[in-house]
Amino acid sequence: MADALPPTGNLKPGRPTVSSEDASSQALSEALGSSLLFIRILGALLLGAFLFSCVFTVNPNEVAVVLRFGKPVGEGREILKTNGLHFALPYPVDEIVRIGVGDSKVARANNAWYFVDEASEAAGNTAAPNVGQLNPASEGHVITADGNILHVRASMRYRITDPIAYAFRFSSASNIIENSLNNAIQWASVRYKADDIITGNVVGFRDSIRLRVSEMIERTGLGVTIENLDVERSAPGFVKEYFDAVIAAGQDRNKRINEAKGEFDRITREAEGEAKRVVSQGESAADQLVQAIAAEAKFFQDQLATYRQNPGLYRDRLRVEALTRILTNAPDKFFLPSRADGDRRELRINLNREPVTPKKAEPGR
Amino acid sequence: MKNRTPSLVIGGLLLVIFLFLLFAFQVRTTEVAVVTTFGSLSGAPRTEPGLYLRLPYPIQNVYKFDKRLQNFERKYEQSYTRDKKSPILSVFVAWRIADAETFLKRFNGDLARAESSLENVVRDAKNSVIGRHDFSELIAPDPALVKFDQIENEMKTAMAETTLKTYGIQIELVGIKQLGLPEALTAKVFDRMKTERERQVKKLTAEGTAEAVRIRSEAELKRDTTLAEARRQALVLRGEAEAKATEYYKVLNQDESLARFLISLNGLEATLKDRTTLILDEKTAPLNLLRGDTASPATR
Repeated sequence: MADALPPTGNLKPGRPTVSSEDASSQALSEALGSSLLFIRILGALLLGAFLFSCVFTVNPNEVAVVLRFGKPVGEGREILKTNGLHFALPYPVDEIVRIGVGDSKVARANNAWYFVDEASEAAGNTAAPNVGQLNPASEGHVITADGNILHVRASMRYRITDPIAYAFRFSSASNIIENSLNNAIQWASVRYKADDIITGNVVGFRDSIRLRVSEMIERTGLGVTIENLDVERSAPGFVKEYFDAVIAAGQDRNKRINEAKGEFDRITREAEGEAKRVVSQGESAADQLVQAIAAEAKFFQDQLATYRQNPGLYRDRLRVEALTRILTNAPDKFFLPSRADGDRRELRINLNREPVTPKKAEPGR
Repeated sequence: MKNRTPSLVIGGLLLVIFLFLLFAFQVRTTEVAVVTTFGSLSGAPRTEPGLYLRLPYPIQNVYKFDKRLQNFERKYEQSYTRDKKSPILSVFVAWRIADAETFLKRFNGDLARAESSLENVVRDAKNSVIGRHDFSELIAPDPALVKFDQIENEMKTAMAETTLKTYGIQIELVGIKQLGLPEALTAKVFDRMKTERERQVKKLTAEGTAEAVRIRSEAELKRDTTLAEARRQALVLRGEAEAKATEYYKVLNQDESLARFLISLNGLEATLKDRTTLILDEKTAPLNLLRGDTASPATR
């Protein structure tokens, strides 16, 4: 650069001099050069950012929709970008809308339930307040078909099955689902009696709520599917003991009936056993009768010839044999000879009846 | 010149973006847009998503509204039925902007103002519809008499008439969110509930006792029937055995005196078989031998 400058004799040797115009031109040129370099670097960075922004990933638990100038890109199910790497033009041309569909969502309907603070809820201390009057603002309730008051709340787990409808048709789909669930509780409650809701038809009541919510979801096209519905019911604290008494009475009634049924089974089983025994005894007796008569007939036939030879002797022999057997078996035998004078003897017998054995009491009676 | 090319490209791009922002606007798939030129409506509302051209502000203004279904909830308050009952109700409404021009004219695009107006409409519709029905049409022991859905539909119709024409709002869904009783009435209901439960306890107890007695009686009857049938069968068997025995009796007819003797002897032995006390004199054989008598007892 020093070579380009004109020589000047006034200046000290070794120290080059420049005119002010050249110096400013040089400074401008250097500044412009630096600016251009900066702009080039900036341009390169912007280009890199531009290219980088064209790529996006969709996670496994979500789907994405690319809006190009506000309009979804693609047709039908192709609108939804599932997990993987995808391309889109940078904002404001394309906008990526992500919709979480992997995890189930939970809607809770507490409008017909009493106030419970979070600490009590976590501790499981959720007993209904024992107050003589319910303040509708803080102690939500339902009116049942028989004009009773109960507390009911529900928790519903659902999954997004139509992400486009869920995200683009509703400003707050979750609020509408929650309101639909509250509505379903009221809708079902006015159709069931209090005792049916508490104990009698718990499943029917829950199914009615589910049916109503499903119908409302279908009607509004929310694009969700119910996975699970849990319904909690409670009598107001002020009358809870009376509900408990009804439950206890119902259990007692069932217990009595079950006991009676058990007894029914026992009695009929025993009767059938006894009947079998009677029939069996009848069969045995019949067999014995026939066999005994047959044996007698055979004996008679065998003895007939002997008897006819000397009937008197035959009879004496058999009589004495029989008496011998009887005397052998009899524990008490008395020999009472006739009086010498031929008069009759007077015999006094003291008869003692055997004590009556008490019958066994029948079980359960 | 060669060094200036990137700068020109970047400058050109920035210019395009600037012009794009100035002369174009996007309508998202969830939106509807209304364009005004010097304050007057310009063309139909843009309901389809996409890119639209416009003149720059202040010549044209673009108003965008969310056309999705909105949720609105009315507060919990008392209404009166035709039969002068006073339930407390709150309803929720799902609504959307159906006529963006009317919505813009009416509320200048202010959603809060729209909801405030909607609140009055909802309250009027709710009160007027509830006032046309008896309480028993909301709650009845017979589900066939409950007009819950009809009441909701009537509310929706009553709201829709006003909102669409006046506010450009379409009512899509109306539902009763809460239905309760005033605080003072709950005490009376509690008294009735107590009485009902006490009656139920008595009824259940009586039912249990009666049913148990009935079951036991049935069991005893069944036992008696079963045993009677068994005894009948045993008798039949006995009869059949007697019939068989008749054949053998014919054998005994050969000598009636021997038959009678044998039967009597068997009977005597069977009768005196157990625990018998015998008192005999010397005339009975073989005890007659004790007196040295050898004569046949039959001859005595």
